[in-house]
Amino acid sequence: MGMEIIFRTSLTFVENSGMKIPLQGNRLTFFPGAILVAVFMLLAPAGQRAEKVPDNPCFIITSTLSFPGISFRTGGAMGELEMVIIPLKRVGNLFMIEAKIDDETGNFLFDTGASQLVLNTTYFRKYITIDETEARGVTGLTGSIRRTTVKRMQVAGLIYNNITADVTELGHIENRRGVKVLGLFGLSMLKGLEMVIDLKNNELRLYRLDKDGNRIGAHREEFRADITAKVVEYHNVLFMKARIGGKELDFCLDTGAESNVLNCYAPRKVMSTVTILRRSDMMGVGTDKAEVLFGDLNDFNVGEHPIPGMQAIIASLNALATSYGYPIDGMLGYDFFSKGKVCINLVKNELKISLNKAGKN
Amino acid sequence: MKKQATYILTLIFLLSVFPVLAQFNPKTICRVENGKIYFRIDLNWTKAQQKELIRLFDLDTIVVQGVYNGKENITVKGTSWQVVKLNDHLVELSKLLAAMPVRAPSSNDIIMLDDRWLNAEGAAERVSVTFGVNRFTRYSVFQYSRGIARFFLPGNLNAKQVFLSGSFNAWSTTNLKMNPCDSGWTISLKLLPGKYSYKYIIDGKWTPDPYNRLKESDTYDSYNSVLYCYNYLFRLKGYSSAHKVILAGSFNNWNEKELKMIPLAGGWALSLYLREGTYIYKYIVDDAWITDPQNELKRPDGKGNFNSVMGIGDSLIFRLNGFLSAKKVILSGNFNNWNEAELEMEKTAQGWQLWYVLGPGNYEYKFIVDGKWMTDPANPNSTGEGEYQNSVLAHKANHVFTLNKYPQANKVIVTGSFNGWNKSNFKMVKKGETWTFPIYLIPGKYSYKFIVDDEWILDPANELWETNEYGTGNSVLWVEPR
Repeated sequence: MGMEIIFRTSLTFVENSGMKIPLQGNRLTFFPGAILVAVFMLLAPAGQRAEKVPDNPCFIITSTLSFPGISFRTGGAMGELEMVIIPLKRVGNLFMIEAKIDDETGNFLFDTGASQLVLNTTYFRKYITIDETEARGVTGLTGSIRRTTVKRMQVAGLIYNNITADVTELGHIENRRGVKVLGLFGLSMLKGLEMVIDLKNNELRLYRLDKDGNRIGAHREEFRADITAKVVEYHNVLFMKARIGGKELDFCLDTGAESNVLNCYAPRKVMSTVTILRRSDMMGVGTDKAEVLFGDLNDFNVGEHPIPGMQAIIASLNALATSYGYPIDGMLGYDFFSKGKVCINLVKNELKISLNKAGKN
Repeated sequence: MKKQATYILTLIFLLSVFPVLAQFNPKTICRVENGKIYFRIDLNWTKAQQKELIRLFDLDTIVVQGVYNGKENITVKGTSWQVVKLNDHLVELSKLLAAMPVRAPSSNDIIMLDDRWLNAEGAAERVSVTFGVNRFTRYSVFQYSRGIARFFLPGNLNAKQVFLSGSFNAWSTTNLKMNPCDSGWTISLKLLPGKYSYKYIIDGKWTPDPYNRLKESDTYDSYNSVLYCYNYLFRLKGYSSAHKVILAGSFNNWNEKELKMIPLAGGWALSLYLREGTYIYKYIVDDAWITDPQNELKRPDGKGNFNSVMGIGDSLIFRLNGFLSAKKVILSGNFNNWNEAELEMEKTAQGWQLWYVLGPGNYEYKFIVDGKWMTDPANPNSTGEGEYQNSVLAHKANHVFTLNKYPQANKVIVTGSFNGWNKSNFKMVKKGETWTFPIYLIPGKYSYKFIVDDEWILDPANELWETNEYGTGNSVLWVEPR
């Protein structure tokens, strides 16, 4: 399969308070577009501007223009709360977070598969471009990724100052789900925190951590885990190992995927455990044609623990693996996160799952 | 004993028939190996099973026909398929996997499922209900009067923050903060009559209203509470000795059980929400159908009887000037299913007129003057051509498409997602230097463009636009809920 990958900027590190943070900009981004067609628009109320945002923010996350990471400023009134619960709004198998960005309030897609904050060009066209990157996909389509700065962003009790964000077209998500999407809330926005993703109850809990990665204050109590696994963070993308058919595979953790995805070039031992239920010749964005398979992962394990009832799209992920610069056999999306409460500690780089008990609400 | 014998016979019958039918287990049909996709097909499958095979795996009918005709190589639309015989009735169909998808996902991509694959069953439809009645288990939790709705959530006194989120605020999680009181949390807000769904957010947790029995699935695992803000009171005086009185009408398809009236001193009453529009109705007093004795407005039902008529919302006056020598003028439109007899217009000194109540919406209509159909000469807005041309009325239009430049253009069309990008609708009307077209749009996202003398342009006055599949752009419009 011929493909062309262009890296416009190289990986750089900047020193900041003893931490080494890779600068972004090296990631190859294709012209945006979801790979599958969702024709139907779910009932989704149009976004209305909110006037009020809750007071008493619990912590401030600051970053500078040249430094896309985040740091905590503790102390004062801002430092008193150690945990926030952010209500998630479900649209299809995607989840929205309401946030205020400068003067605009609206929905951001909770997307751990995006490395950082991404803004929708439709509403942020006027933001000043601080950097522009050419992106080229395998079909030779080109598009440009603009980068800009956001002065202030507020999500429940979290405040972010001077964060860099990509600006790109996200209209296809709006058109398929009928909901206004201001942007994507990517992984760098959660740096240094512990998150508990509870899709059953439509909530995201964020805990502040000390330098060792332990919860502080009244929320020290441990997350009751059925499964514990290591995660690896690479270029602001999270990866985890899982086992199918006795083979160990690398998955990226992506709440912005409505389904799990398994690479169709996975070893035979893996594929032999997969039951293919559906196939579709589908039109993608524009004129792209895609052959898409969907099936049951009958033998999916994290560590020694089997996770039943997992389904996945089977597609080629070789190009994505190259773009991450990390071998990737699949993506864990909605199907995975809906199996229970998923706790990810971004300091300890640890993932814990408390599985939904059968028959328990 | 007889029954048992029947069971045994049925069992024997089934057992004897079963082996004849070929096994059809979707889970064993398809597999992927080394970049190739394989389908194991039984040549004994029935036509219905073949159809199911085609549906599940989106196979080309020609390919499947080829398999059943014993072909070994089949090429359809540039894809070549191979067929290998496994035994006398089993074959294996295979081909190379297409690079899937052509454009590989990138890290910023959102992987979206086709709705056919999305497990949200019966994905919510945007149905605008015609009527509704509340079912609260505690009277104090919701009150609505003079356009103000008061929500009360009892208890939860230890909560730090409670928000109200619902269809009335586009499910914002932040803009309706409730106020603590001695026994719970309250908020008052202005609401128009209608149906609303909602939940409370107690310290970040979504919670349906515990005192509301009216709920609907949020299409996932949970449900939303539902309420109606009322705008109409039906009253029937007298009949105090009756056992029961039912209200039935065009708003509920003349259901004879649904709407029970409540006995009051001196008669019966029922409050409810009714969508704006014109309705016909009757009361059923202990199984006897009667028209409303307090309502003089009645219309023939076409079968020799009369129904009471009521309207809710603003009345419109349809006027046709002139045609004074005509014998009969009828108004007919999509609001009354193009009925050619129901709405007879009234003669005045200048022409003809009719009062009619309509809810917000886009309507098409024509006049029938002594049997001859004609568009409304006083209304410049129309759709369609020739005999299919109808007058268009945007009643309570909530958006006006406006184009300020191009006064010298001959023809300007506004087209978009609201009318399937129809290239001949809707014709904008020039007033002075400005082209306009009023329209009623339900809340949601719309993309649109203007066609100025065959040239497609973005709305120059709208800074919101997005790139379309042609690499140009579409203007973007969001209509917010009222």
